[in-house]
Amino acid sequence: MLEPLLGSKSAERILIFLFAREEGYATEIARLFRTDLYGVQKKLDGLEAGGIVVSKKVGRTRLYTFNPRYPLLPELKALLQKAITFYPEKTTEPLLMNRRRPRRRGKPL
Amino acid sequence: MTQAELAAYVHSELEKAGIDLVLSGGAAVSIYTANKYQTRDVDLVATGFTTHTQIKRAMLALGFRKVGRHYEHPDSTWLVEFPSGPPHVGGEPIGPVEVINFATGKLHLISPTDCVKDRLSAYYHWQDRQSLEQARLVAESRVVDIAEVGRWSRSEGFEEEFVKIAPLFERPRR
Repeated sequence: MLEPLLGSKSAERILIFLFAREEGYATEIARLFRTDLYGVQKKLDGLEAGGIVVSKKVGRTRLYTFNPRYPLLPELKALLQKAITFYPEKTTEPLLMNRRRPRRRGKPL
Repeated sequence: MTQAELAAYVHSELEKAGIDLVLSGGAAVSIYTANKYQTRDVDLVATGFTTHTQIKRAMLALGFRKVGRHYEHPDSTWLVEFPSGPPHVGGEPIGPVEVINFATGKLHLISPTDCVKDRLSAYYHWQDRQSLEQARLVAESRVVDIAEVGRWSRSEGFEEEFVKIAPLFERPRR
């Protein structure tokens, strides 16, 4: 839905992912959308260079979030908020229904 | 060549190529505080619809080479970056810029008041104490409109935080 505006399917997927989960890393974004990791990494790099997202290293993973200093962030989030309502449930459910609460190390599933 | 002279040189040369820039970030702090804070970065933000290709062409013509997101010159230790524009502090565009002339050219840079806002933005969002200290150093060294910083802080949603740090920006009475 936002691809024509953003000029990229990867950018749409990344922004929707970060909007839904607040943070994410390239592998999990690519895995969720079953898409090419390199394309996601490259687009994340571009979004970071553009000041829309920021990243930090957590262990060996580079974790991305929206840049809270991006001046159009409230407007971007409003756009994503509306866009996400148009996605099919099979797309939004895995995005929104991931486990966020802690899980003790070694605890059986 | 000092950091400020290099910034002025790049600013002036790129202006000749039709690229208008404003110095922001740590280098502006460095200039305003007479190097009490130092950084290797020179962040120049384009004010108009400038493409990366235009900037790259102009920088290569000056003898810089692109390394990742920044530009390096064999005769300089400073790293020049062009963060995405337009220049802003939080959700607002910057106000009037300062203009300083150096032997190497003219430099446009964000005002001391916008420089303080820029540093406080990093403090507010990431609790970065270094940024708060840089904001304090700028306010100590230059005339800063603290009432305007307060208005901006409220508009960004950080009124409570501003109230807590405001005493740091009070100038001693003479």
